[in-house]
Amino acid sequence: MKTQLFATCLVDTFFPETGEATVRLLRHFGMDVEFPKDQTCCGKPPNSAGYTYEAKEAARHFLSIFHGNAPIVIPSGSCASMIKLHYPEMFKNEPRMLEKAEAVAAATFELTQFLVHKLQAHRAGFAGNGKVTYHSSCQLTRELGVREEPLLLLKSVNGVEFLPLPNADRCCGFGGVFMAKLPEISIAIADEKAQAVAGTGADTIVGCDHGCLMNISDALKRQGNATQVKHIARFLAEGL
Amino acid sequence: MTRENTIDIFLKNAKSVGAGTVLAADLDELKQSVSKIIEDTEPVYCPGKTDKEAAVIPPEEKRAPDYFSAQATVEEVFGAIAETGSIVCSSQDGRELQAGLLPAHHVAIVARENIFSTLDDFFSSLGPEIPTNITFITGPSRTADIELTLTVGVHGPERLDVIVC
Amino acid sequence: MSKPKTSLDFRKNSVEALADTAMREAMRNSTAVFSGHREQGFSTVPDLESWRDRASDIRSRVLDNLSEYVDKFAANATSAGAVVYRAKDAEASRDIIAAILRDRGAKKVVKAKSMVSEEVYLNAHLEEQGVEVVETDLGEYIVQLAKERPSHILAPALHKNRRQIGELFAKHLGVDYTDDPEVLTKIARKVLRKKFLEAAAGISGANFAVADTGSIILFTNEGNGRMVTTLPRLHIAILTIEKIIPSLTDLSAFIRLLPRSATGQIHSSYMSIITGTRNPGEETGAEELHIVLLDNGRWDILAGECREILKCIRCGACMNVCPVYGSVGGHAYGSTYPGPMGIILTTMLEGMEKSHPLLDATTLCGVCADVCPVRVPLLKLLYTLRERRTKEGLVPSLERTAMAAFGLVVKSPTLFSWGQGMSRISWPLLSKIPGSETLERLPKPVKDTFRRRMS
Repeated sequence: MKTQLFATCLVDTFFPETGEATVRLLRHFGMDVEFPKDQTCCGKPPNSAGYTYEAKEAARHFLSIFHGNAPIVIPSGSCASMIKLHYPEMFKNEPRMLEKAEAVAAATFELTQFLVHKLQAHRAGFAGNGKVTYHSSCQLTRELGVREEPLLLLKSVNGVEFLPLPNADRCCGFGGVFMAKLPEISIAIADEKAQAVAGTGADTIVGCDHGCLMNISDALKRQGNATQVKHIARFLAEGL
Repeated sequence: MTRENTIDIFLKNAKSVGAGTVLAADLDELKQSVSKIIEDTEPVYCPGKTDKEAAVIPPEEKRAPDYFSAQATVEEVFGAIAETGSIVCSSQDGRELQAGLLPAHHVAIVARENIFSTLDDFFSSLGPEIPTNITFITGPSRTADIELTLTVGVHGPERLDVIVC
Repeated sequence: MSKPKTSLDFRKNSVEALADTAMREAMRNSTAVFSGHREQGFSTVPDLESWRDRASDIRSRVLDNLSEYVDKFAANATSAGAVVYRAKDAEASRDIIAAILRDRGAKKVVKAKSMVSEEVYLNAHLEEQGVEVVETDLGEYIVQLAKERPSHILAPALHKNRRQIGELFAKHLGVDYTDDPEVLTKIARKVLRKKFLEAAAGISGANFAVADTGSIILFTNEGNGRMVTTLPRLHIAILTIEKIIPSLTDLSAFIRLLPRSATGQIHSSYMSIITGTRNPGEETGAEELHIVLLDNGRWDILAGECREILKCIRCGACMNVCPVYGSVGGHAYGSTYPGPMGIILTTMLEGMEKSHPLLDATTLCGVCADVCPVRVPLLKLLYTLRERRTKEGLVPSLERTAMAAFGLVVKSPTLFSWGQGMSRISWPLLSKIPGSETLERLPKPVKDTFRRRMS
């Protein structure tokens, strides 16, 4: 099956290994992975900050590159929800763009959604080791409703002990522009998340969104905590 | 739902919110339960207007002339709602709701046939003219305003006993 | 009173708040307690979603026909014996209430908790006129003694710990210091009992008002609401117009949701349905009831795109779950209403110019919208207001420029790659720009970007 990969600007710019891991995972399950090289950013940052024009510019570009005829797989809950929920909303008064947006939205999957529902990857028998816990990011959980899929995948990894994180779906304090505009509060919230992570005794914290993971990683470092921070794509790909 | 079920649910819910609960089969049992509940309390006020109230008027030595000076009020109330474990007081028929509000201890008698199953049942039973004050009472007075620690007995009664008869 | 905080100073307020270890501990404790209670309260509910739907529909129906419901309420309350006033704004409402008290020579007033009365700064105005106003809700009484504003719409003294409250009581009431909540509560009971019995008038708000019967509805746990509205012969109620619901049968939808949402209780200890003045033959009920129906910007909000905030039933659930409110407490917002619903309502009531920094006070995590019992689309409203703020130009110019640059770069893959390279090279310099300390919390852009690896 053909798939289109949208890497996301965070993966592209800061965490290319997550992109590589995503490709490996998809190919492992027999997917053809197309990487439309003109991709840039889905427009989430301006969209959440209230810059509709700039967000729409990003969306128009995205919709000119990606089509609705093959699944679009994205290793990020916030980007996937931007495309699935916010794109159609943005273009609700522009019928031609709306049609494109709806087609693309219907074809878009956050990575764990695709792995579980389309590839049955939770039955694949990944291998791993150590104690792992999981942070459930906000847009992934509350906008996309993806709660069980990452857990199914993590718990299916042989050799790994899964330790639940208390208040796993409580915000980590990243919030996109929030982290820059109200850094003191962002740090306070992130510190609580990091303390919760430390309390589990896990050696790795896994998540589906690099925005959250960057913020949690920074807080763990601040607390002198050596818990590893990994995107779920990398965590699973390591166990192939 | 049968009357028995409704009464059961009411007593269970009233108990869960901190009310003392008693089911009295007849006036004799009512008298006994009231005596027991107020045995260490005085003075006790009782309006003495309804038949049930008349049956439980406290002995002279224990009696309070009004609710202002009373430690406890024993009275019959309008009804109850099983769904929430609430008793319902109404200002109709010259009832004084203050009697069950000011003293530290409120003993409320509810007639079995006046217990409504649900909130909706109660509200649809009301006619076009409603009394000036209808008050639902669900357990004793409480607050959590200090460190969210529950304290019972703020401005209203600290103790609520409900007797279904 | 220390200088009141303003919404414009939100960031500064929040930095101060974060350093207040006592308050932070109080907030941490309350977050845990509230979430536990809420879960417990809803755990036995078989079909929460249909309850929420019903409540949401009723609230929407009222907003769609508000004029009609206001008229109906006013007519029915009047025929039940109340005097009904329609006050356009805060000043009008204060003047009406002050005049009622003055005309009757009422100098001592007891008050049940009313966020609307906070919104219009009623107490200060009455006190200037020589009226003694005593708050009777324990939390309000505490903040009144401390000369502070409430920091939460249900638990006004949430930001204080027992030691601070003990000190307040010792200082102002001449009692021995104690920090035992039970003892403190009993002290308040005694002090306030006297005030209830001496008061010439009682002032309350209303949780709801019923159009069909002209009734006002009061939920309390302490019993002070009952005392304030039945002991003095004169009762004045102030409420805003959107609190109206059509009929008593609709009330059950809110009885089921409000206490559970607020504190996890199946029902608050007391709920009074007050309809007009005492009838002949009755022994309970105010002899005079004055109801002030306040607009204070609601009609304007109703006409706009954020009208759904008017569905709010003031349960406090949204602020109880908010990570920002939980970190900084209510005072940092510098507004009557804090937390998610507070951001939205304040921006609408005070105007964007005075309150736009509040729109930063959200990570858009969406948990508030999830817990709202009447389905106020809080997340959507926050996005809408951020959009409006940008359109009105109330954003920092550096941010505007950066976003405009983004808008250009995002359409051009070449510019985008170039931008990635540039930011990597200038990263050490970029993070030195004042206000860019955040960059230090982020990793460095890589040389070997993913797109490069895939080409």
